Amino acid sequence: MARNRRFWLAGALAGACVALGAAAQAQPIRLGAVLPLTGPAAVVGSQEQRGIQFALLHANAKGGIAGRQIEMLFEDNQAKPDQSVLSFNKLVDLQGVPAVITGFSGPTLAMAPLATRKKVLLVNGGAQADPLAKASPYLVNTIPVLAGELEVLANYVLHDAGKKTAAILFENDAAGISGRDDFAASYTAAGGKIVAQEPIAFGDTNYRPVLLKLAAAQPDMLFVILTAGVSPLADQIRQIDAKFTVVGNTFFSDPEVVANPNAEGWIHSQVLINAPDSLAAEFKKTYGTEFDFFPKQYYNATNIVLACVERLLKEGKPLTGENLRAALFAIKTFDGLTRVVFNNNTADTQVNINRMQAKTDAIIKVIPPKQ
Amino acid sequence: MLWLHLLVNGLVSGCALGMVAVSFSLIFATTKIFHVAHAGVYSMGGYLTWSALRHGAPEPLALLIGIVACGLLGALIQKLLYERLARSGATHLVVLIASLGASAVLQNIIAGVYTSNVLRFALPWADRTVPIGGVLLSMTQIVTVGIGLATYAGVMWFAHRTGLGKRMRAVASNPFLAEITRLNPRDVHVVVVALGSAIVCLPGALVPLDLGLQPFGGVPMLLTATIAMIAGGVGSISGAFVLAVAIAVLQNLSLLVMPGEWSIGVTFFVFVIFMLFRPRGLFAT
Repeated sequence: MARNRRFWLAGALAGACVALGAAAQAQPIRLGAVLPLTGPAAVVGSQEQRGIQFALLHANAKGGIAGRQIEMLFEDNQAKPDQSVLSFNKLVDLQGVPAVITGFSGPTLAMAPLATRKKVLLVNGGAQADPLAKASPYLVNTIPVLAGELEVLANYVLHDAGKKTAAILFENDAAGISGRDDFAASYTAAGGKIVAQEPIAFGDTNYRPVLLKLAAAQPDMLFVILTAGVSPLADQIRQIDAKFTVVGNTFFSDPEVVANPNAEGWIHSQVLINAPDSLAAEFKKTYGTEFDFFPKQYYNATNIVLACVERLLKEGKPLTGENLRAALFAIKTFDGLTRVVFNNNTADTQVNINRMQAKTDAIIKVIPPKQ
Repeated sequence: MLWLHLLVNGLVSGCALGMVAVSFSLIFATTKIFHVAHAGVYSMGGYLTWSALRHGAPEPLALLIGIVACGLLGALIQKLLYERLARSGATHLVVLIASLGASAVLQNIIAGVYTSNVLRFALPWADRTVPIGGVLLSMTQIVTVGIGLATYAGVMWFAHRTGLGKRMRAVASNPFLAEITRLNPRDVHVVVVALGSAIVCLPGALVPLDLGLQPFGGVPMLLTATIAMIAGGVGSISGAFVLAVAIAVLQNLSLLVMPGEWSIGVTFFVFVIFMLFRPRGLFAT
């Protein structure tokens, strides 16, 4: 009788263990994202969110990772550094996420020291200010910082396009100021001359006064670094009948800008990221918007994180920020929408020089990634 | 000739800002409500006009649809929000917070429906330029100046020459007396907020025609217009319009001597000094 009771007890315990194990196995993998979902920066933040959601949609449709669904907890930081810190702490301390996807230079820089202290993988998929490259060993940038991209651009416009003098119009925030400094440093080092520069507040599309001032300096070219509102800029440049060539970076890769006849002849550097037509069509069908640069970048960044998660689960290691970081550098090369190589915390990818002509964004020079 | 270009650009921007200042001044002087939701109505005007255009309405009809819809929206805000708060004895601070909330709701509805992307009207005629006195002006700018001046003149005429305008001024000057003389201040408030909201649709559509539509574009515009109204003298339509033009011109001309990042700060610093010497405003009534 006693033996029988022990047998049933052991059986029940074993069953409970299996059930508990299965429950743990079925628990979703929780990751975090801190993005501007309201406020003026939501124009970019909502695109980034859709990119992440699209990647999760695909991953979960395939059954998740090791049978576990992936859940992304979104926090709205309104692109404000102080709000970002609160959001980061909430995700890490209350929800226990091992990785946080984010963007925008100021907020990312504010969260970087916390990522170091709490050993949480912080993944930036869209911001490009230079300080991001060395802000934290736990911050990885899946897009190159501006310095590398703009060095390529500065050399092209000076030596290939023959533009000897430049004016700069920059967004008055971390990314814009970093872009201004990088371009000015590379351009003057190569022999060019900066004749004027003017800032513009983020979200302000009344460019005309500063354009009039910059045009009065009679530069050969105008270097522009703006994260939003580029199409109204094209209209206003045409309306003042400016004679300079407009030059910019990846931020120009907005289909509306390309389709704007007033942007004809504009030159820009372009961090390469391509999506197959079928994927772009699926994105448009799902979200009703184009699969633009930022959704593509965040789709890619999310897949990089998921690849690291998959590797850890295969190896049976716990999902911690430290292990995710180690997995990322162990994998090193990620072939997603573009080839991303992590020689250090900041990705190397292919950079092209494009010219907008006849409502298309034509590649005129290719610079491959460093292996 | 940079100064001339900046001066003309300031005058054009000032006409748009003047319409916001005049409409806000009408509402504030009559109802004493700091109608922050006006920023949301401003944005809504642009988006509704844009939608009407997208659905094939010709430009004047699209603008008219926007004006009527904004007028109705303003009347609804007054009737359903401010009037109820007044009945329940809410303080000015509570009404201000409610107005802020209404503004946020309107802007978030816009962002939800239209996304936060900068939308362009992309009307071919709006992009055309005309040289006037050595300065290139776009058709949008010319239309903005024309409508801005006409709006100012129209509001002046309405306030001083019509019965409703006189009732409005009577309510503004002494609400208690207006109540006992059966001028029905509550009805006047509804009409004034509706009128101000209809007027603000004009810059709400014309400015984005030039600069693109953004859900949160009304806030900086309203902030500057408020300063123009206060510096011009609360209750003075001319004061609000003239000071709005002066602020816009000063902001533009300041670029001659300093970088753009300083222009707003310096302009407002000048007005702070001005207010120290003339705290009731330039055209105080």
